[in-house]
Amino acid sequence: MDAVAATIQQMEAEEDFLMVQRTQKTQAARRVTITVMLLGSLFAMIFLLIAGVAISHQIGINARARAQVTALNTQLEQRVAQRTSDLRSEIAERKLAEQALKNSIAVSDQVLKELADQKFALDQHAIVAVTDVRGTITYVNDKFCAISQYSADELIGENHRILNSGHHPNSFFQNMYRAIAGGEVWHGEIKNRAKDGSIYWVDTTIVPFMSDQGKPRQYVAIRADITERKLTAERLSNQALELSKQAEELAGSRHELETPTLTLRSVLDSMAEGLVAADEQGNFIIWNSAAEKITGMSAAEMPALEWNHHYGVFLPDAITPFPPEENPLLRAIRGESASAQMFLRNSALPQGAWIESIANPLRDKSGALRGGVIAFRDVTQRRVDEREIRKLNDELEQRVAERTAQLQIANQELESFSYSVSHDLRAPLRHIGGFSKMLMEEYGATLEPGARHYLDRIQAGTQKMGLLVDELLNLARVGRHSLNRRPSPLNPIILEVVTILEPDAEGRRVQWEIADLPIVECDPVLVKQIYQNLLANALKFTRARPLTVIEIGYLQHDEDGQTVFTVRDNGIGFNMKYVDKLFGVFQRLHRPEDFEGTGVGLATVQRIVQKHGGQVWAEAEVDKGATFFFTLGLGKQAESKSDGIAAGGQS
Amino acid sequence: MNITELDILLVEDNQDDMDLALHALRREKLANRILVVRDGEEALDFFFCRGAYSQRSFDHPPKLVLLDLKLPKVNGLEVLKIIKSDPRTKTIPVVIMTSSKEERDMVASYNLGANSYIQKPVDFDQFRDTVKTIGLYWLVINQPPVTEDTPHFRGAVNEPR
Repeated sequence: MDAVAATIQQMEAEEDFLMVQRTQKTQAARRVTITVMLLGSLFAMIFLLIAGVAISHQIGINARARAQVTALNTQLEQRVAQRTSDLRSEIAERKLAEQALKNSIAVSDQVLKELADQKFALDQHAIVAVTDVRGTITYVNDKFCAISQYSADELIGENHRILNSGHHPNSFFQNMYRAIAGGEVWHGEIKNRAKDGSIYWVDTTIVPFMSDQGKPRQYVAIRADITERKLTAERLSNQALELSKQAEELAGSRHELETPTLTLRSVLDSMAEGLVAADEQGNFIIWNSAAEKITGMSAAEMPALEWNHHYGVFLPDAITPFPPEENPLLRAIRGESASAQMFLRNSALPQGAWIESIANPLRDKSGALRGGVIAFRDVTQRRVDEREIRKLNDELEQRVAERTAQLQIANQELESFSYSVSHDLRAPLRHIGGFSKMLMEEYGATLEPGARHYLDRIQAGTQKMGLLVDELLNLARVGRHSLNRRPSPLNPIILEVVTILEPDAEGRRVQWEIADLPIVECDPVLVKQIYQNLLANALKFTRARPLTVIEIGYLQHDEDGQTVFTVRDNGIGFNMKYVDKLFGVFQRLHRPEDFEGTGVGLATVQRIVQKHGGQVWAEAEVDKGATFFFTLGLGKQAESKSDGIAAGGQS
Repeated sequence: MNITELDILLVEDNQDDMDLALHALRREKLANRILVVRDGEEALDFFFCRGAYSQRSFDHPPKLVLLDLKLPKVNGLEVLKIIKSDPRTKTIPVVIMTSSKEERDMVASYNLGANSYIQKPVDFDQFRDTVKTIGLYWLVINQPPVTEDTPHFRGAVNEPR
């Protein structure tokens, strides 16, 4: 109310001021009227005086002038009359003006009264202050005093800055002053500081009162207390700010949370393994898509002891229901680590699926039990595969056993065969040879020359067959010979073979070109036989050459780094289209009349090379010689079964 | 034939081999005191003075046994094993004469105490040379065990080759 009173006071002052103005104006108008009237009278009197003087002067001086005077008099009278008429009308006008003025004053009074009423009302409602152009307070109403806690005496004469709360920036007031100094009405909300330091907000309208020069003369500020609203708003704003801050923080932390959550979610859903987690109450908190796929069902709320029944969990026998309290996830929730094989069969999985699972308790940072997690996967296919593999394996083993038995039988048969051959085939040969010889010796003299020739052919045949049988037995022996690998220098072996072959080279020019061969991990007894057969062949098929050149060397195999041993001759060679027959038993590329041989030698070479895990091949051109290549495998090979004969018995 | 004064016992089931061997021996004048038995069982009867040879005495062993390995009833290696493990017969020189050049036969023969191992050559000339050489060696060059005292004592003296 004080504020209202102050405002009213302010208003009253303003109204008084207005009244004074109005009164002054009215009085000025009145003064003008009176002055006009007085001047009019004065002029008239002065004119009359001047006219009188002039008349008496004329009368006294010139009779003739009387007529003039008379004329003048008439003129004067006319003019007075005219003037009087003018004045009358002027007075009438004045009266009218006066009346109008009176009327206007009455109106003014009325207006003033209304103004006073309005000022009262304004003072009742608003906080009003008036400052001069410099901001010095010239008027405050009661409400102003009330809200500012200053008395009018304290305020008037003070600059309005006394109330500045410091809340608004300088620019705020600069803008305000710029506006009102420019004659504009300014409106804004200002935060002021009361005498006790408390804060109040006023909705302010400042009206500049302009001087006649168009400059602001004073400023009237009409304000309303909006402290409550403002504080509420401020509080709300603070709260909003706080909220928005919190929201921001939340958003931040949500983002922080969301990122791992999203990552976790996508990780969980991209897992091939089912992952299900439940809290300590048994509520599912994770049930990833693989879990859904594997179980055929989604997470459902139910007591944990019903899980097995609901999801159709069985023991791996696929028949016995899984004990409800033994569910691995439930055990995990109880704090145990559990793994289990189980069989799932439910309406979504009519065929059923074998599951392998591992469950572990979930604990928070403090180690308190917060639930459990179970990871599981469908191992049905694996079981099928494993069973298939096992079956195949069993079959394979069965077949291997059968094959081994067959091989053992075959081997035994082969051994007994070669034993028989060595005994039973050689014996009749011996008999044929022996008796034909005896026939020749004892009865040769009595036989016809033709009969003796046949006996010779029989002798030759038996010798040839004896050689064949011996070589076949040798081939069979190589097959049974246990591979006895050891580092063996090849050059001594070759020199030994060359010495053995000396008789065959007798009378021939033979040039042996033997490279510096490496030490090789091989069976020297068998490798000696390789060289013996190859060099014998080389010597045999170069028979017709004036100079026989036999090169024994080696080269590195490009593909697997094996050493390739070579035997090259400058003999008759052979047609490469028969190369496939080269290493077959009894296969011969030459007529026996041209080159003796049994067709077993290269077969024996191949057998020995194969025993070493190597390969043998040949290149040749008719009449350009032949080259034989062989390798001896790498390192230890699976050695063939020993035939049980001690090394000392080897020939 | 006087089986108490025997030079050679030929253990051979095959008639042809027997004839060839006898032919060769005869040619070398080594077949005068020779006995042929046709299987392992008969050979054992001879060695241990049983059956048809019950009148025989351990005191008069043959100077040489030519033993084939492939024999009916009891094979040559079994015969060898038995006579070489019995003190009364172990000193009798036994030469394995066989078609087989099988290493296992050879090794087994020597392990059982064979005094020599010979593969019968297919070539008859070679065969005859072989038989001749064997006969000369064991009947002429070699000093046979002393016929008195116990055979196992005599065995210690006789270590051919």
